[in-house]
Formats: sequence, structure tokens, C-alpha cells
Amino acid sequence: MPEFILKHKRSFILFLLFMILFWLVTVQVKAGRLTFMEKPVLSISGFFERVITGPFRFAESVVNGYFFLVRTERENGRLKQEVEELKLETSITDELLIENERLRDLLGFKKQHPPESIMAQVIAKESSPSSRTVTINKGADDGVEKDMAVITPAGVVGRVQTVLSGTAKVILLTDPGSTLAVRVQRNREEGLLEGKISTCALKYVSYYADIQEGDLLITSGLDGIYPKGLPVATVTKVTKHEASAFQTVLAKPAVGFSRLEEALVLRK
Amino acid sequence: MKSHIYIIILLLIVPVQASLFNPLSFAGVKPDLALAVLYIIGLLTGPVEAALAGIGIGLVQDISSASLIGLNAFTRGLIGLCAGLLGRRVLDISSPSNLIFLIAFSLAEGLFIMLFIQVFYGSVPIVNMFFTSILPNALYTGVLGILLLRFINSRRALNMLKRHALQKEL
Repeated sequence: MPEFILKHKRSFILFLLFMILFWLVTVQVKAGRLTFMEKPVLSISGFFERVITGPFRFAESVVNGYFFLVRTERENGRLKQEVEELKLETSITDELLIENERLRDLLGFKKQHPPESIMAQVIAKESSPSSRTVTINKGADDGVEKDMAVITPAGVVGRVQTVLSGTAKVILLTDPGSTLAVRVQRNREEGLLEGKISTCALKYVSYYADIQEGDLLITSGLDGIYPKGLPVATVTKVTKHEASAFQTVLAKPAVGFSRLEEALVLRK
Repeated sequence: MKSHIYIIILLLIVPVQASLFNPLSFAGVKPDLALAVLYIIGLLTGPVEAALAGIGIGLVQDISSASLIGLNAFTRGLIGLCAGLLGRRVLDISSPSNLIFLIAFSLAEGLFIMLFIQVFYGSVPIVNMFFTSILPNALYTGVLGILLLRFINSRRALNMLKRHALQKEL
């Protein structure tokens, strides 16, 4: 036996390596993802990402600047009209907010304040076959912390996973490691939304729950990371299995991750 | 292959894939540079070296993403091993069959990861994902790989011609 091993030493070591890797993966499924060597590796890749994207961003800003000047007049007229419309909407919303606050006071509810945010640019989009993350150009120096929610006006993007001094890694909604508490806007049914690489799945939804295709899922605020009421995803497919107590619900994220360029990081 | 080339590959593969390849993204589908590079390493070296390169590249990808540490290292190590065996016994760098094998490796890896997620986490729409994500990614990666192989092959042919001319002169 030792002779056989010695004869095929390289193949044996390789086989052992594969066994260790597979064991490592299965251990993490139960115990959670390991984070060793994360900061040094991210510092190096973050440095090169900034070096590589720097000239591209500069060229992009020059080109965009030119087109911006060309379109300014037309854009200005459109924006003026939009501002007028928004002013009207704001005055109505202000009225509703005051009324809402007064009613909350009457009912003895705690006051809600909108969270402060940090504007960030997406500098890299990693898509290894088993994961979905992006890197933003704001880090610990700008006040970004682990587990802060990341959003756009369209809805939830994900949460901060790792923070370095000048950059941060954001785990997207579609990553298999992402879970967030949501509710159906229409009827307030609750569930947990998990990432499935290119889509999301709503878990632990009772067989009898009324969920329909096209329903909007919003954050419920129960996970302590995302504020309540943000749009998350739209239900695309509902399947009921006779043998299961739960139904399978697939949902498409509200944010188009392939076109994601800027995002807001919400301070806790 | 020389060790400094591997160091450069390990340092640059993730940032180049994540930033430089973003403009190549089409409807969320992006070619997998790491897989194409690994396949070429397999053809140019041998099974053991390519498997170790695959494990290295996969580990860097695992650490710098949100993936379970070792998952990409495992699949990429196996791909390196298979590409190395193919390069040693069946294919060479100029063979047109490289496109088919590269697509097949990408499909196999995508399906393995989907099945892994299905087994351990559940609720993966495998058929839907196969046609909307895994297959387009594999085709795109195959095309990128062939372009890279052609580039390397032309450089190799150029170097061989130069060497030949130099020998004649001498």
C-alpha cells in the first residue's frame, strides 16, 4: 500500500486536496461561510479594480460630460416640468405625513425617521458561478459598516458583507447566501426571500397563503437590516405541491443588477 | 508554466473579470474569463499543474465573493484536471473541438453548482436557469476561450516563425 501511494504520490495528494475541499464546503453549509484571508484578498483585488476602472471611469465621464452639454437645454425644460409636478406631489405627501404622524401619536406608536444614506458607485461586479456580489467605492472611512442595507430608488440591492477602508463588498439579493424578511404588499403575507443566483425564492409560505403572480414583495423590517416598506421583488411564478405544506414562489428582483451603477448605503 | 505567470493570473483574474469584463455583459450574461484561462492552462501544461491552478483560481474567487470557501476551488480544480488530460491525450491548442469542450465544462460546472444549491438550500428553478443563465454563459465563455486560444496560437506561430528565420540566418 505505501509503495502504491509513493508511486502515485502526486495523484494521491491531488485526490486528498479534492476531498478536503469537498469536506470544507459541506461543513460550511451547516456552520456558515468561513471568512479567512478575506480582507487581504479583497484589499489586493480592490486595489487592482480601482486601478483598472480608473481610466475607464475618466473616459466615461469625459464622454458623458460632452453628451450632457449637448442635451442640457432639452433636459432642462423636461426637468423644470418634472419639478413642478413633484412639488405638487410633495405637498400632498407632506399633508399625508402630517396626518400619519398625528394618527401615530394618537395611537402611541414610536416616531419613524428615514435613515441617513451614503451615495456609492459600483466599481466591480463579481459573478462567480456560485455567488453574486458587487464592490462599491465607499468603505469604513466613509462610515460604511457590515450588514448595512444597500438600495436604489427602484428597490433593495442587498447588504454590505465585508468592509475595507475605501471599498465594501455588497452581497446581492440573488446570492444564495442572501436572506431577507419580506411581506406581500397586497395582503401582508410574510415570508423569507432567498437568493437563487439569477432569481429569488420566497420560502416558508403556507400552502393556503394567497400569493399571485405580479404581487409586489416589500421589506417587512423584521430582519433588523432593511427598513420596512422598501420594494424588493415581483412574484413571477407560484407552484403548489399537494404533498408539501408550503408553496414554491419565485420572484424577480425589483432592481436590474446588470445595469446597476450607483447605490445608496443606509446608515443604521 | 513559470510561477510568476501564475502569480499574475491569481492577482488579476478577479479584478479583470469583475471590472474590465462588465462592458461585455449582455442582458446579465458575462463570459467567464477564469474558466477560459484555466482551460488554456490545462491544454498548455498537464493535468496535475492545471488542477492545482484551478484550485488556486477557484479559491481566490471563493474568498473574494460570497461563495462557500472551496466550492469554486473544487469545481475549477476538476475542470483543470480534465482540461489537462484532454490537452495531454486528445486535443491541441488549435483544435476546433476546443469550443465544444469549453462549453461542455462551463455547462457541467453550472449544473453542478445548481444541483448543489438545490440539494442543500432547495427551490432552484433548474430548467429556467439552464436556459436563461447557464447555457448563454457557457456559449459566451466558449467564444471568449476560442478567441483567446486563437490569439495565443497566432503568437506561438509568430514566435516559431521568428525562431525558424533566426536559425536560418545563423
